[in-house]
Amino acid sequence: MATGVNETVLGPKRMMPSSHKAPSRKEIEDVDSLIREFERLDYVTDTALATAVYLSTRLRKPLLIEGHAGLGKTEVAKVLASALETRLIRLQCYEGLDVSSAVYEWNYQKQLLAIKLEEKSDHTVEEKEKHIFSREFLLRRPLLLSILEEDAPPVLLIDEIDRADEAFEAYLLELLSDFQVSVPELGTIKAKHVPYVILTSNRSRELSDALKRRCLYHWIDYPGFEKEMKIVRLRLPGVEEQLAVQVVRLVQKVRQLELSKPPGVAETLDCAEAAMALGKSRMDVEAVEQTLGCLVKSMEDSAALRSADIEKLLSQSN
Amino acid sequence: MNTKHENPNRSAASIVEFCRFARSKGIPVGIQQVLAAAEAASTVGVADSDRFSFALRAALCSSQEEWEKFRHIFDEFWRQPHGAPDAEKVREPRYRNAMKQSNDARLLIGLESDTNSSGEGDGRLVSGASSEQRLKRVDFSEASSAQMAELERLALRLLRQMSVRLSRRMKIDTEGNRIDIRRSIRRNITRGGDPLVLAYKSRKASKKRLVVFLDISGSMNLYSLFLLRFAYALQKHFKRVNTFLFSTRVVEVTDLLRAPQLSRAMSGVAQRAPEWSGGTRIGACLCEFNRGAGRKIPTRDTCFVILSDGWDTGAPEVLAAELRVTRGRVQKLLWLNPLLGLKDYQPITRGIRAALPYVDRFAAAHNLESLLALEKYL
Repeated sequence: MATGVNETVLGPKRMMPSSHKAPSRKEIEDVDSLIREFERLDYVTDTALATAVYLSTRLRKPLLIEGHAGLGKTEVAKVLASALETRLIRLQCYEGLDVSSAVYEWNYQKQLLAIKLEEKSDHTVEEKEKHIFSREFLLRRPLLLSILEEDAPPVLLIDEIDRADEAFEAYLLELLSDFQVSVPELGTIKAKHVPYVILTSNRSRELSDALKRRCLYHWIDYPGFEKEMKIVRLRLPGVEEQLAVQVVRLVQKVRQLELSKPPGVAETLDCAEAAMALGKSRMDVEAVEQTLGCLVKSMEDSAALRSADIEKLLSQSN
Repeated sequence: MNTKHENPNRSAASIVEFCRFARSKGIPVGIQQVLAAAEAASTVGVADSDRFSFALRAALCSSQEEWEKFRHIFDEFWRQPHGAPDAEKVREPRYRNAMKQSNDARLLIGLESDTNSSGEGDGRLVSGASSEQRLKRVDFSEASSAQMAELERLALRLLRQMSVRLSRRMKIDTEGNRIDIRRSIRRNITRGGDPLVLAYKSRKASKKRLVVFLDISGSMNLYSLFLLRFAYALQKHFKRVNTFLFSTRVVEVTDLLRAPQLSRAMSGVAQRAPEWSGGTRIGACLCEFNRGAGRKIPTRDTCFVILSDGWDTGAPEVLAAELRVTRGRVQKLLWLNPLLGLKDYQPITRGIRAALPYVDRFAAAHNLESLLALEKYL
């Protein structure tokens, strides 16, 4: 199970290297430059997605990206953070995610130690209490971290929001509208910089209307042949053209079978990479059999794929 | 950014007009989205029609279905026959005459006074406490219209009591079983931090969510009328209830049943309901539900109540498969069957037989008493 811990360092204060010039942070000027910038960072995008991302940075509205697994939803946030040269803060959602692992928690061990250390001092109880409930003892979780960023707005990725429960979604709603967190012992902490927010969902359940209304929306669909080829070429520079064409055609065919988990782009890349690792320069029935585990991830699906006649799929794809 | 110099008011007006058009086509556009759309349009500009459409789509849509519909709606509204979008022109809205009323359904659910067909048989007058007991046991299919009104009042009252009881039960349950470190530390500061008094916490038990799946097909005619009122009463007293009607299609009526007056709720339902007294395809309807609205329902605290006699014209395998899916999503699946009130009824219809393995509780629903027994299973 994921732990909901962000990817960045949780220290109380990060020393920025002195060469870092805060105002030189990048801005994205228009949709075209966003497409170029994303491509430079090895992410193939289309105008629709680029427009949505661009708008979300411009209107400062959260962007909700829905789509099947393995189509690069999470990647959008990562690439956006690099494009903006800012920090990525990630919150992985899961069932039962609560405020103490998403927003903040008190550092209990440290608090207990502090109480012990202060035992002999002549501070009053109120002073002691104030001390152990100061920022020094606050553990910052991703959501709090995202509004505490000092130099520039970070990109906040709220990944797989559909896995979190309704109550959390409601909490998130509050945060996304005010960008402030209130800690009873400390008061309200307001965002210095409103973060860029990207939410992703696999659509395992429908999100609340209120949350959706607050967001811009983008639905990522399976890419067409050309786009997928472009992705394969970009991500696997060493791949032979013939192999790439075959793999992509095969995957596009497989997606049309009624599988419970159709392969995404991640699976295409895995499959092509696996074929390369096996020293294949073209796909045949044997190669497909060997790399089957890259494409389908359940027994039923592999049975369905086999019964669909791999040879036929391949011959159609030639 | 915007190269075109146009009257901002006029372009805003056409965005608003487009939003209204989209709403009429089934995309629920709220004021927030309209504002976002206007802002998005002015950021991207109208010069490039693709980008303009992408921008509006990102702002207005919020699901895959809307996403796919959007292209047509956009084209229909903005594109002139020669193919170029024309933001200057405000189109005449075309949806004015879209609202049509279907009146035939009104009679069936008894908006008019002659509610029930077989009422004349025993129109016993009832009064007092013992009559209440008797009334509770009157089979809905045999109730007279006078009894019906009485039953309705009784149902509303008893359901209110029931919901109060249920919420009280939840409160007693909230004895903590996990130590709340945060509050424990706080409580023990005065003792130098030694945890002498512990604070406990537990997950707050929330009221269950109910989903009512009500059969309004022909075979249910005698009951669906009252059961719908029952659903209305449930919704009044339980916060989280979703009500769906089905015969050959499924339609959600949750919002309509929220109307303050029963009569208004009923007339709303009459207009929206799919096919009163039509055939039944429970399996197909469940399938439609599972693919659509069913995914909106959170998994673990939902109690799914099917009110149906189980006469299914579809294949039992479909019903079984779909019930399995539903069962996997919810906490409990109840099937209330009015026919169970008949003395010698045996659950032998193909549909019911296929369903039984997935149903947690199979109970009667022919009179008020049996409906109130629902409390035990929640």
